[in-house]
Amino acid sequence: MLLEARSVTQLFGSFRAVSEADLDVQQGDIIGLIGPNGAGKSTFFNCLSGDLVPTAGSVRFEGEDVTRASPEAHARLGIGRTFQIPATFPDMSILDNVMVGAFLRHPHRKDARDAALETIEFAGLKSVSHQRARSLGTPGRKRLEIARVLATGPRLVLLDEALAGLNPVEIQTAIELVRRIHERGITLVITEHIMEVILSLTHRVLVFNQGRTIASGAPKDVVNDPQVIEAYIGRPRRRRAS
Amino acid sequence: MILLQIIISGLLLGAIYALFSSGLTLIWGMMNVINFAHGEFVMIGMYVAFVIVTFLHGGPLVFSPAAAILLFLLGIAVYFGLIRAILRGPMIAQILSTFGLALLLRYLAFWLFSANFKTLPEDLIPGVLNLGGILIGMPQLVAGMAALALTLGMHLVLTRTALGSQLLAVAEDRQAATLMGIRPDRMQALAWGVSAAGAGVAGALIATFYYIVPTVGESLALIAFVVVAFGGFGSVPGALAAGLIIGVIQSLSAYWFGPVYKDVVVYALFVAILWIRPQGLMGKV
Amino acid sequence: MRWLGPAGAVLLILYPWIFTGPFYERMGADLLLAAIAASAWNIVGGYAGQISVGHAMFFGAGAYAPLLVYTHWQLPPLAGVPLGVAASLVMAVVIGMPSFRLRGHYFSMATIAAAELVRIVVGNWDFVGAAIGLMGPPVARTVLDLSFRSAVPYYYLFLAVLIALLGTTWLLERGRMGYYWRAIQAGERAARSLGVPARRYKLYALMLSAAFTSLAGSLYALMVGFIDPDSGFGILVSIEMIITAALGGVGTLFGPLIGAIILVPLKTATNSAFGGGGSGLTYILYGGIILLLSRFEPGGLLELWYRLTAHRAPEQIEARHAA
Repeated sequence: MLLEARSVTQLFGSFRAVSEADLDVQQGDIIGLIGPNGAGKSTFFNCLSGDLVPTAGSVRFEGEDVTRASPEAHARLGIGRTFQIPATFPDMSILDNVMVGAFLRHPHRKDARDAALETIEFAGLKSVSHQRARSLGTPGRKRLEIARVLATGPRLVLLDEALAGLNPVEIQTAIELVRRIHERGITLVITEHIMEVILSLTHRVLVFNQGRTIASGAPKDVVNDPQVIEAYIGRPRRRRAS
Repeated sequence: MILLQIIISGLLLGAIYALFSSGLTLIWGMMNVINFAHGEFVMIGMYVAFVIVTFLHGGPLVFSPAAAILLFLLGIAVYFGLIRAILRGPMIAQILSTFGLALLLRYLAFWLFSANFKTLPEDLIPGVLNLGGILIGMPQLVAGMAALALTLGMHLVLTRTALGSQLLAVAEDRQAATLMGIRPDRMQALAWGVSAAGAGVAGALIATFYYIVPTVGESLALIAFVVVAFGGFGSVPGALAAGLIIGVIQSLSAYWFGPVYKDVVVYALFVAILWIRPQGLMGKV
Repeated sequence: MRWLGPAGAVLLILYPWIFTGPFYERMGADLLLAAIAASAWNIVGGYAGQISVGHAMFFGAGAYAPLLVYTHWQLPPLAGVPLGVAASLVMAVVIGMPSFRLRGHYFSMATIAAAELVRIVVGNWDFVGAAIGLMGPPVARTVLDLSFRSAVPYYYLFLAVLIALLGTTWLLERGRMGYYWRAIQAGERAARSLGVPARRYKLYALMLSAAFTSLAGSLYALMVGFIDPDSGFGILVSIEMIITAALGGVGTLFGPLIGAIILVPLKTATNSAFGGGGSGLTYILYGGIILLLSRFEPGGLLELWYRLTAHRAPEQIEARHAA
């Protein structure tokens, strides 16, 4: 078991953002987290990544308790994440952005640079590697986010709505990239609103509503689950307007 | 007996600290911006009082509202002219901008009024109250009471009025507030105006018993920071409690260690707070 | 534009031979000293993005220590330099450790409070001269006293220190330390998610910055031969460092030097032009410059330069630190 979350609960004051959520992630899985806005999936996500310490419950990675571990400790252990609103370093070049990630496993400049260049090539960003990150549009920044976290050499990557705001062509390219990442042996947990992505990529889906997990299973089954449909008030939307 | 007098005078001064700090904490809560020019707003309030007394022969009932109005306008102007532009920028721009403003205001005051200490006439609020052996100067009493009333008033307006809850809504969640039809821009400008007005009135009140000099903003700003940190960022009741406590601490320190050290103790307290309890008495970090 | 760098370097080295006489020599030394202090501040304030507004505490410690060991134990002031650095490192840890786990504003406020605290305590402590301050050797007893009558030896001493400082900064900038600092400045949350131990690296930046600032203070004391609470720990000392760095460009290697090249002559001019009221006007000017800078071009003159010259190659917007 690569990642194990048990009874994760997150309270903000008296508001229960997440209530007793469980998750099992095996090496090689692609898990999807879905649910309407405000359902708690982002909060749960942040509990997994170390950005939030859950009020109750536990998170274990490869058997080790990481419930209270800092985000940087998560990265060292091999858990990486991207941000819903890309948090790339705007005035640094794309190469420099990725090098920050690469320095985690490669303390020396030359090695970090080589590793970063390799990752940039893998992510298809080679042509813009010397431009400032702020010169990229949203698809480019999302791609950079992914490249940057890949450079940290993770075993598990948490993708936070990595495909939101992309047009249909860009979505296809992004799905391709995610598949190639998976082929490299990296386990993925993805939160997404775009059903097409969930259906085509994930092995298993966990559905959140009002802080609780209301369904879990294969994407096709979950999508047709009446409880899930009800949570979304009607059919799940195909694409979320950004 | 003398201890009681010291504590009471500390409370009165602390009420004034609370008054000008509550505006600062409101702004921090709403916009995550620390106004390094806040002390200068207080200083300007002091000079408004001075000018009105000296050239227009007005009394406290004239210069206090005048300070409030003038600083209110200044606060709004600063928001639209400067703050709004740097809100989403890098940290250095945020910190430097209000710092630059502080410098500008401080040295403009130097230029206009010179470095000489100025004071308001002693008979402005005459008298000394004698409560069974405890002596309280009337200016301090009036200033302290007024400050207390104004701070409580601010708290009540924030929590009990529609306008107040709009301000707090923007502080909580700007996006959600926008969706509810509240204009965050206006609310933020209003917060700046109110914050500056509070500082201005506090300055006018202080001027009745303290000396007026352009550099006064430096130490007052620091006191405001400590009060805000101690009370908890974003909490007006916290600022009130913290202001009173710090006023008393200062008063006692001046008595026990000498007047020079009254500020030192407060600064040391600030560093200690950082180590021990950064979220302060009642706020979020 | 490539010749600008080497030409500037040559100019710096030959400056006292080109601009002769005590006035220019002293201004040159002042310029280099300002560049050293601002470049030191730049490490924590520019690269790591942690805005200290109380760096005077390190400068003052560095200035007081040499004069202290001279006054009380007749040692050459040079012996006090490590003392100043040690004191500065301690202060850096005391201030940095608690505040670096909090948001940036706490650190800024803590630095102001700490610097003021030190200034007041020093101003009331007889052992360190109280309000009167301390003096250095009026006449050089040995060459170790580093007490020269002309400003030229100081000029070259300061130049050597500046080169050492900028060289160190350059080396760090290229390596993991520099990249992690810039990541922290650009987005601490994202940096941490990539494994950057933010709190520790901020502390490293502060300690290095404090040490070099202390050195700048020591150099000041060696040249001027006098220090008091205001010239050592006053808020204007901190402000000058910041504005010098910001004017040229925070987070760049040569920004602080460029800032010094503009501000020191400017300050000398306004001070002498307006006589007594001049120093007030100087700071009104400073305030205005800081305001305009932060409002319109927070990246400083270097950033402005890059923006203006970027039109030459719109397809290839060169990143400032292209690897």
